[in-house]
This record gives sequence, C-alpha cells and structure tokens, in this order.
Amino acid sequence: MRSFRLLLCCGLLLGLTAFAAFAAASDDCLACHSDSATVGKAFAINPAIFDTTVHAQLGCPSCHTSVGAGHPDDGLPPSKASCQECHAEVAKEYAASSHHQNAACSDCHNPHQVRGPTEVSGADMNRTCSGCHELAAMATTHTTWLPQADLHIGMLPCISCHTASKENVITLYIIKRPAAARFGRFELAGYNELKALASHGKIEGLIDGNEDNYISLAELRLFNSDQERTGLRLQGMMTPETVTHNFQILANRRDCSFCHASGPAARQTSYLSLATSDGSYRRLPVERGAVLDALYGTPDFYMVGSTRSTALNYIGAVIIAGGLVVPIGHGTLRFLTRRNRANKED
Amino acid sequence: MNSQHRVYLQPTPVRIWHWLNAFGIVTLIVTGVQIRFPEYVVIFASYKSAIMLHNTAGLVVAASFSLWFFYYSFIARNMLKTYVPNEDELRHGILRQAKFYLLTYFLGWPNPHHPTPENKFNPMQKSAYLAIMFVLVPLVSLTGLLLTNVEPLRNLIILIGGLKILVGVHFLLACCLCAFLFTHVYLATLGHTAFAYIKPMWTGWEEEPETEQNAHDEPVSNHR
Repeated sequence: MRSFRLLLCCGLLLGLTAFAAFAAASDDCLACHSDSATVGKAFAINPAIFDTTVHAQLGCPSCHTSVGAGHPDDGLPPSKASCQECHAEVAKEYAASSHHQNAACSDCHNPHQVRGPTEVSGADMNRTCSGCHELAAMATTHTTWLPQADLHIGMLPCISCHTASKENVITLYIIKRPAAARFGRFELAGYNELKALASHGKIEGLIDGNEDNYISLAELRLFNSDQERTGLRLQGMMTPETVTHNFQILANRRDCSFCHASGPAARQTSYLSLATSDGSYRRLPVERGAVLDALYGTPDFYMVGSTRSTALNYIGAVIIAGGLVVPIGHGTLRFLTRRNRANKED
Repeated sequence: MNSQHRVYLQPTPVRIWHWLNAFGIVTLIVTGVQIRFPEYVVIFASYKSAIMLHNTAGLVVAASFSLWFFYYSFIARNMLKTYVPNEDELRHGILRQAKFYLLTYFLGWPNPHHPTPENKFNPMQKSAYLAIMFVLVPLVSLTGLLLTNVEPLRNLIILIGGLKILVGVHFLLACCLCAFLFTHVYLATLGHTAFAYIKPMWTGWEEEPETEQNAHDEPVSNHR
C-alpha cells in the first residue's frame, strides 16, 4: 500500500513537472509569437485566446517537436503535428465525407484558437462555413426547396443539417441593436458591451438574477419583459450537442418533419450562452420547457409545430368549443321543438 | 299553397368572394391543424405541402378580402350601411333578433328580419360580420403575412412584441374564425327550409314565404 502511494506521488510529480516544463516552453514561445511585429502576422498567436484552449494545456512543443534551443537562429522550419495524430477518429470520419477533398482541417479550424462545440456561438459555427460558402448565397440556393430559407440559415448552424450531428438543443444568445441605429438589425452582443451593461460587472447577472448559474423561467420572463429598458433580446438557435465531421446532404433533413414534427417533448432542453472575455462562450442551463412558454420565455424563438404552447392550445380549444355551443345547444332545442314550426307552416 | 317572395340578395362578386373565402378558410383550418400538431395530425402527405398549401390559401383569403373591400367600397358603395348597425338596431334590433333566436324561433314565429338588397343582414349578423370582417380577418391575414416573412420583417415583428406574441395572436384569431365557422354554417340552416339561406349564396336569389308584411311587395332586385 505504501509503495503504491509512493508510486502515485512520483507519477503526479512527473506529470506536474512535465506540465510545468511545457507551460514554461509555451511561455518562451509566446514571448516572441505574441508579437506580430516580431514574428510577422502569419506566425503571431493571441495568448489571451490560445491560453484558454485545450491545445495550450499540451504546450507548444507537443505539436512543434523539432523546435530546439537554436530556434529561430538555426534556420530550421518548425515541424507541425498532423491533426490525425491525436484526432484519428475524427480524421477517419472526415476522410469518408466528400468535404475532405475541398478543405483540410486547418482551413476550418485554427489550432491556436480551437474551441469545443458548446464554447462557440452558432454564428461562429456558420462563420467557419461562410469562409467558402457565403451565407447570403446559400440562403438563395436553399430557397429552391426550403421555405423561409433566410430564417433557417440564420437560426441553424449549417452542421445541424449537413452532418449527422445529434442531440439538438435550443441555445439562447444575447443580441443587441447598435446604439446609433434605432431600427437597425440586432447583432450578437460582445463581452465588453454586456459587461458595460451589467450592474456588478458580471454579465450573468443580466439574466441570472440570483446568480445560481441556472436560468429559471421567471428570470427569463423578467429579462424579456424588461428589454425596452436594456435594449437586449434573446436569439434562439437550434444547435447540436454532439458534433460529427461526416459532411453530406442528408435526405431526412429535407423532410421538414425531422425537426418540426419532433414535438414539444424534444424541445425541453435549452441553454443560455454568454460571451466570455477570451472570445469563447459559456453555457448556463435553462429551466426545462422554457422555450415552450406561451409569450415571454423566448419571445423571438418559435419552431412551428415543435414549440407550441400548451396553455394557448387550451385557450384555443375553449374558443372552438364556444363556437360549437350554438350548433349543439340551439340544434338540440330546434330538434325538440320541430313540431311548433311544422304546425305554423300547416 | 305557399307563394314565394324573391329577393336578389347576393350579387355575383359577393358570391365569388364568399366561396373563395369559404374554400380558403377551410383549407387554412385543416392545414393549420397539421402545422400545429404535426405528430398527431397528418392529413397532407408532407409537412412542407401543408405549409405551402396554408401559405397559398392565406394569400387567396387575403386577396378575396381585398376583392370584398374593393367591391363594397367602390362599386356597391354601401359598406357602412351593410355592415355597421344603426342606432335603432343597437338599441332594439339586436335584442329583437336575440329574442327570435333564443325563444320565438322555437315557438315557430317568423324571423323579424326581412332581408332586402339594401339591408340584407339582421342586426346580430351585422355586429358579428363587423367584428369578423373589420377585425378578425384583417388581423389574421396580417399576422399570417408577417409569419411567412419573418426574416425580412424581423424589426416589425420585434416592434409588435416578438414572434411568440405574433404566433399566439394568429393561432387564437384562427380559433375564433373556426368557432365562427361552426356557428355560421349552423345559422345558415335556420331559414324556412334548411337550404333557404344557403341557396342564395349560390344563385343570388333568396325566396321567402309570403307574409302579411311582404305580400304586396314586388320582387326586389338591384342587379337585374
């Protein structure tokens, strides 16, 4: 038992030493590579973004193994690890899709700015695609078969339909109208804009009033009914939880019922996604079913067929039943008194 | 043998408008049910076809509303007289007509209202059609037009209060129209025969049994 503890301590120490060594090495690299004037724009890295990525934890030497003490005076070009060395499964999946002939990993992903799928906004996901597939042109292409194509392309990451990504949830982002434009278009609000509006400097507090990192329906309603004052609104997007790289055109995504007939039960899960200082996004869970609230849960997000409000259904049923009162009630009395009218006609 | 009193009540443009509306509204209701409850109601082959049909029927009803508005405003020029109850109708007419529907009809008494081309709706009809044609149909059409153009009209939708409010208003107004439809069809069978009020909407002519009041009247027409 004692020897096991000793072994564990040694292992931990080794790990920490290695991590410290890589971190120190990264710091050495960034001392030059954070300054574009020194290394040039193509080799400059923004440490504020890089430091928060998973790749930063590995350290620069993990991928650039050939860089030695003589760099850059030795004149040797630094080696680069291929993505598939670590991401073999993803690479295999991507190689099987038709997309791999058109773009390499680095055409879509900057290894020094990598984020997980839940750490980026839906707009960021589509910005990656729009590097080649201009969004306005894509909206036009989709109008040949997709009703309100511009709306769909604005509210859905492309990968929701063009990969077999799974477990779609509703993600809410804070949007803001530019101060100078009274009737301008609402845009995704950046971290600094939101920080300026937050009373205690914590942007979560704009919605999460009790700061419990959980957005209740009451908090959502309060935020939405106060938007006249704050000028902020929520934009909903349907985003995938599990992302795949098998890019393709899926026949079932052309069947509107794939999303629209999924029923309210499938639209219970939603998150609020907030911009952070490093440019990524942080998610807070939202009370289940909030997207289905009749009016003030998510005033600007509605998926026909899937996010209908049960309360409105009941009110509608009462109205229709009211319309049936006359035919049924009057009709019954009419039938019972039919002899009175027959006698008058005689 | 009962003699008949004939009145030319429904001119051709009104009849075209009415049946366009009827066909359009029934289509809107049926497709609307599938659009709102797609996992339970599958009447049309695909969800998309229900949406496309709903949008097309909506445009037909909006166009037929424009036809109605144009006809009564600029050709017949009797919109206010036809659809807005006057003081006497508000004070006494509505009560008189309600009394007929709720009591004297069952006793076999005649309808107190005798339609003429100038005054074809009874006071209750006038009030109902006023609400339907000047509030319900324009609002359901406008909300529908906004809902089919969400992205281009996003700012206008935000001004109204958001997409959810728009959808809610559209849905509840549609339920009101559906409720009206049941009442409307039933009341259309309350003539001296079940088809007495339905036939004129097809032929234009209403036939009333002779009463003391109209026994000496000549057949009336404003479109011969």
